[in-house]
Amino acid sequence: MVGEQGSGEPVQVVFSGSRRELGAILLRGYGLLVPTIGLYRFWLTSWRRRFYWSHTDIGGDRLEYTGNASQLLLGFLMALAVFVPLYGLFFYLSTLSTEAAFVGYGGIGIFIWFLVGYAIYRGRDFRLSRTLWRGIRFDQTGSAWGYAFRRFGWSVLMVFTGGLVYPFMAANLWRYRYRHSWYGDRQFSFAGSWRQLAWPYYTSYVAVLLIGGIGLVAGIGLDVWPGDGAQLNPAGFVPIAISALLCGLVALFYQSREVTRMFSSIELEAARLTVGVSARSLFWIYLLFTLGLTITVCLLLVGGLLVLGAVAGEAFAGGSFDMEAFLGNLRGSFATVAAIIAGYLLILGAFSLNREVFIRLGYWKLVAHGAVISGLDNLGGVQARDEDKALVGEGLADALNVGAY
Amino acid sequence: MGIPGRFHDGLSAAVHLVELDYERRGEEGTLIVRDAGQGSELARWPAAELYAVHAPKDVLRLAANRQPTGARVIVEGHKDIGRIMATLPVLHHKRRQETQRQVRIAVTATVALASVIVAYLFGVPVLAGRIAGLVPAAWEQSLGETVATQMEASLVESGGLPVCDPDPRSLANRALTRFGREALNGSGSPFELDIRVVRSDIPNAFAVPGGRIYFFSALLDRATSPDEFAGVLAHEIGHVVYRHGLEHLISTAGTGALIGFILGDMTGLSVAAGLGATLIDSRFSRVSELEADRYAASVAQRLDFNPAGLADLIGRVGEDDRFARALALFSTHPLTEDRKAALEILAAERPAGLEPPFSSAEWDAIRNMCGDPYLRSREQNK
Repeated sequence: MVGEQGSGEPVQVVFSGSRRELGAILLRGYGLLVPTIGLYRFWLTSWRRRFYWSHTDIGGDRLEYTGNASQLLLGFLMALAVFVPLYGLFFYLSTLSTEAAFVGYGGIGIFIWFLVGYAIYRGRDFRLSRTLWRGIRFDQTGSAWGYAFRRFGWSVLMVFTGGLVYPFMAANLWRYRYRHSWYGDRQFSFAGSWRQLAWPYYTSYVAVLLIGGIGLVAGIGLDVWPGDGAQLNPAGFVPIAISALLCGLVALFYQSREVTRMFSSIELEAARLTVGVSARSLFWIYLLFTLGLTITVCLLLVGGLLVLGAVAGEAFAGGSFDMEAFLGNLRGSFATVAAIIAGYLLILGAFSLNREVFIRLGYWKLVAHGAVISGLDNLGGVQARDEDKALVGEGLADALNVGAY
Repeated sequence: MGIPGRFHDGLSAAVHLVELDYERRGEEGTLIVRDAGQGSELARWPAAELYAVHAPKDVLRLAANRQPTGARVIVEGHKDIGRIMATLPVLHHKRRQETQRQVRIAVTATVALASVIVAYLFGVPVLAGRIAGLVPAAWEQSLGETVATQMEASLVESGGLPVCDPDPRSLANRALTRFGREALNGSGSPFELDIRVVRSDIPNAFAVPGGRIYFFSALLDRATSPDEFAGVLAHEIGHVVYRHGLEHLISTAGTGALIGFILGDMTGLSVAAGLGATLIDSRFSRVSELEADRYAASVAQRLDFNPAGLADLIGRVGEDDRFARALALFSTHPLTEDRKAALEILAAERPAGLEPPFSSAEWDAIRNMCGDPYLRSREQNK
């Protein structure tokens, strides 16, 4: 047995990955997405996960992500089997009378919302069962359909109660996920309940209603929705924007409370997780993201204008932009299409790079650095379970674009 | 003295601090894992079975075949890793093999996807035509009803699509029916044409699935000769014969699925999906326009009108500008001058002595179906 943590001191989770390293992985991946017609995304996902997992150190041992791209690719192909009939149905509906098509689209929309629950659970199952720590695998049992029904039922209740049922839903779903999580032959337990969420949630709820209401009233007072014949007053957007920003801050405060309290309710026998995440650090993540995105987009715009100026100089002659001359310069369709596609891909790349590097990495670091595990040395006796071979990729999770690391 | 490391046996979550030694016997080497404290042997891994799994740069994680799947030997530090890599060149070799394997999978998958796309681009007009051929005519007619209802509902604010001359026995309507019958002759189309001249300020004409053709009064007013009118009408009849409306629906659905597959977003709502689908669908649409043009030219082999007139009329209502030229790949219609050139070639060898499509009395009646254009425009300006 290892001697260094024998004292039973609580262990701090360490994360050693840098923005620069993740950025390099992503840039290389985005570059390869183009020649592979998008298929490289499965490899990119694997590299990204290896980055997150391998830099996360718990008690001197790093996590290891054992999944690979072929599994994800295969899972995606299998998910297509679900979507091809759905597509056929979509097509058939589009040929029916307007009302039937409308009802049909609504039905499919609801079905997809239901499938998202299934996809989330299966995706989590895949990631957990591909996570190795100290030579032992994590796993998830429970039924993905069960989770999907549960989540769907709760979301219906959410609609009917105007969001008031949220703390019950959140605690219930967190409990379902963690009570069905395993490390080797040991099952996680979850002690959290809606009571821990009720106070922060309902105060935030009231605060958002008040701030939003005041902002709207002030905006209407300044004629943001002009009545008959009145002019729209752009100043009316100022109070609305301010109140939206304040509501965002309240939402961040609530998110920090939920993450802190729910993560801190996770136990694995004698080992206990405690996580502290502050609203200020969450706010900082989003602020950095906004700054990063603004700077990247500005750079792209300047770069784009320089390129356009070089390619179609006459269009900018005389200090103003001449659309006719510009189009004449593009010399036919292919140049236009290539320019539109390149511009679109660059903007999309800039957005997803910033989101990954600032929001996702920021959040992972925040939770990791705020996490302390006590009683870790009691886990030495955990035994391995049989391999979970039933899972092929994340299938629906990828097809439905359910985002998670 | 061995190299220090950590060892997970893959059976329990215990961590062993170990020392690693390497033993060579003839060709075969073995990695020996010993407990750092007691010196007892924990594992012997033959070098040929070893491979490195992914880890950050300053960490080496070794696994071995025929061992528990979670069993790992972990070494940290530049110097120690260098010593192991120098002793075990097999690790380099296996890592290269694995990279090559991944590259092969990625390349194969990409080539497969590329051929699906190419097959799609060239196969779908054919395939959609075949599928459309399998759809019962009655079903296509009811689909056409739906499309027409939706269309009229969307135009309800500007007065819908009122038929100018509802009397089927009028001179103009009889002439249109006769023209339709002759144009359809020999095509084997299961549909009965229903040509409707409707009152609208938009210069347009289109065929909905199932045989109904709308000809808008504004387009009729802009026609300067029966050639132009007959050309556009024969073109729309071509769309009916080839069942292009249905074909287009089928190919649009297929494109959505393909783009969704490429982008990994089967919900297909993103901008890229829309852009890609527009590019591909408008290409198919241009193919169908040319097909319908050729059909109009084939009708002109039996009736005396110049099919190139249709390009003149279409060109008059929608002049191609530089903007249209730059965005031609997104356009659902071919450029007018290209169409005209193609039609003129097709019109060059028309037999002499054909019947004109409409007598001059019939042409006058058709022109006046929606009332006198001059009087009508004065009435609107009042």
